[in-house]
Amino acid sequence: MRKPDPHIRIAVTGAGIVCAIGRDKSEVWQSIVESRDGIEKLTRFPGETFPTDLAAEVKGDLPGERRLSRTDLLAVTAAKEAIEQASERAPLPLERAIVSTGTSTGGLLEGEDYYFRRIVRGRRRAPVSLVLQQPTSGPSDAVARTFQLGGGVVSNATACASAGAAIGMAADYLRARHADVAIAGGSDALCRLTYSGFNVLQAVDPEPCSPFGANRKGITLGEGAGYLVLERWDDAVSRGANILAELCAYGASCDAHHPTAPAEDGRGAEAAMRGALAESRLAPSSIDYVNAHGTGTTLNDSAETRAIIAALGSDVPVSSSKSYFGHTLGASGAVEAVVSILALQHQLAPPTLRLREPAADCTLDYIPDTPRPMAMENMLSNTFGFGGSNVSLLFRRVV
Amino acid sequence: MTRLPITGIGVIAPGAIANVDRFDTSGLSAHTAALVRDFRAKDFIAPMKMRRMNTLSRYLVAAAKLAIEDSGAALPQNTGVAVGTAFGPVQTSVDYMQEYVEKGASLAPPQLFAESVANAPGSHVAIEWNLRGFNITITQRESSALAAAMYAASQLMKGTVDAALICGVDEVNEMLFSVLDRIGALDDSMHRGMVIGEGSAVLVAGSGTRKPYAWLSGFGIARDTTASISDWGTGYESVVGAMKAAMEDAEIDSVDAVYVSSNGSPRLEALESRALDALFDSRVPRTATKQVFGEYAAGGALQLVAAIRAFEDESLRHVLVNSISAGGGIVCAVVSRDAA
Repeated sequence: MRKPDPHIRIAVTGAGIVCAIGRDKSEVWQSIVESRDGIEKLTRFPGETFPTDLAAEVKGDLPGERRLSRTDLLAVTAAKEAIEQASERAPLPLERAIVSTGTSTGGLLEGEDYYFRRIVRGRRRAPVSLVLQQPTSGPSDAVARTFQLGGGVVSNATACASAGAAIGMAADYLRARHADVAIAGGSDALCRLTYSGFNVLQAVDPEPCSPFGANRKGITLGEGAGYLVLERWDDAVSRGANILAELCAYGASCDAHHPTAPAEDGRGAEAAMRGALAESRLAPSSIDYVNAHGTGTTLNDSAETRAIIAALGSDVPVSSSKSYFGHTLGASGAVEAVVSILALQHQLAPPTLRLREPAADCTLDYIPDTPRPMAMENMLSNTFGFGGSNVSLLFRRVV
Repeated sequence: MTRLPITGIGVIAPGAIANVDRFDTSGLSAHTAALVRDFRAKDFIAPMKMRRMNTLSRYLVAAAKLAIEDSGAALPQNTGVAVGTAFGPVQTSVDYMQEYVEKGASLAPPQLFAESVANAPGSHVAIEWNLRGFNITITQRESSALAAAMYAASQLMKGTVDAALICGVDEVNEMLFSVLDRIGALDDSMHRGMVIGEGSAVLVAGSGTRKPYAWLSGFGIARDTTASISDWGTGYESVVGAMKAAMEDAEIDSVDAVYVSSNGSPRLEALESRALDALFDSRVPRTATKQVFGEYAAGGALQLVAAIRAFEDESLRHVLVNSISAGGGIVCAVVSRDAA
């Protein structure tokens, strides 16, 4: 059995994103540069009342097949941008392209509609097409079907760590030569179950989230998708592709602590970051910036701060781009990976918005208010999920 | 090491295919499934912990307990967990939405929300045995468990973990059953459609003191680009490609038996038969275990267990296991009798 060859470098040759602050990389980056968030009053579920009423929604309709779920459409939108970018100079070998997608809820929004109609009409008369969109394999399948990808399809449903895990898995399969190209990312749309569920857990901030802040009360829920096109470095070079960044390594771990809460000492997050460092053979001091998981919950932000200090020290600049587009759940690892790559390309670290006063247990440099120009060679993008699953992706700048 | 030892097996298997008595099937065309019978979670899980777990989590923790005990040694802390589940916690989402409708969005039970994520069962396994390696859950319909096995194997080969639990779990519930029935996917006779099953299976890979049952030796992955949103396609060349890739990964030229993916669906059977005929002569036996425990049983992991136990027949050296998903996903695995 072939093992993933650690000597094979992984090139990022395409990236696509859709979230509350933009429907492509250009719009998203413009919003980041202008410190403009996408958090507004929730509009997705008219007539329904929740304890909080903010969300980071993607505005307007999404193009694509009518029978696809909203999560599928978000996925196809971001994957299209990524594939088109990677194909600009030469065609991708799509017949050997694997799709690796992370999602937390898939088409649950449409599944909820089916459930409500079933209550009214009975199970024989409710439109079954709605629930066919529900499986969490939907976004991967939709991307593969839309772009006729023949290299395989894998769906990762590891809560909020899903997309980070999907990207890491894709890199391993390229290194083991199970595929020649990977379309790797994540997608999640807002749905009632998660909006209600995080509220009943009392994990939602009634105000726009304030990661690492003294008055933080929780997350702001968001939606979106992000995708990367990954290739073996030599293949990308010989194809003449434009390389955006290098995915050097990733680390994956589990807290083994609690179904929803992180280990307070940050041990799992620390292990994931250490895993990425070990795989890349980089020293902790080589990391110039951390795009944090930074949800805005009391428990996450203090545990993640401890983990970063333990793994990297106290000097590394850190920020949470969730302060722009909320927590996109299963998509967050991919959405934030795209933001991380843009940050490396522009040598500009996104800030943590609304960070007026850091909490006493959040003692790092969180880049408040406005983007910071800084030299960045290597950076980590963290993503953690329910069940204590953690993934840390290590990207390197390509000049 | 180029093959990975399987040193422990734990199974919560369904009973025989029989009439469904768990929910009302009147008005539906199908009435049978392979359901787990007489499972007593308290035999495996402490009561306080059990209260926090849905059915999937209980099945998986129980199967993991059996597998770990079977392997003969405590697992190292650096053990990874890879779970495959075809559809995940559908029933828990239904239960949550019922509470949402009856009590309101702010009064639904948080415990149900915590269990509504597909990786909750894998998380309980990690907590129960303090397993801090990777912990991922794959939901790729019929190929979920083999896809999970493929990832676990890649991590063991890479050396990021010292051991891994390869897991599968699924549950038959009214929502899934009635939807599959509505789209014509089910058929009690297994001639025009499938019968679904449930249960859990866990394999300990890479660690343990007992003599390995068998060795994982190769994987292949591909996708049939002719497949539609919820059915199988006609691109048999993709299935051939995945089977060849698995054998190439295992560094072998042929296999002694194939555990097929076919489940009674005519389209799947036609697709897979054509692919098998193209690659193997008719003397290679083909076994369809889903006739015994249904489709989706343990996310497909029971099929893997059956293939591993086939080595009790000492004439077998290599067995190919196929999983072909509606929607086009294909994962194939080779299991071998010996370490080399």
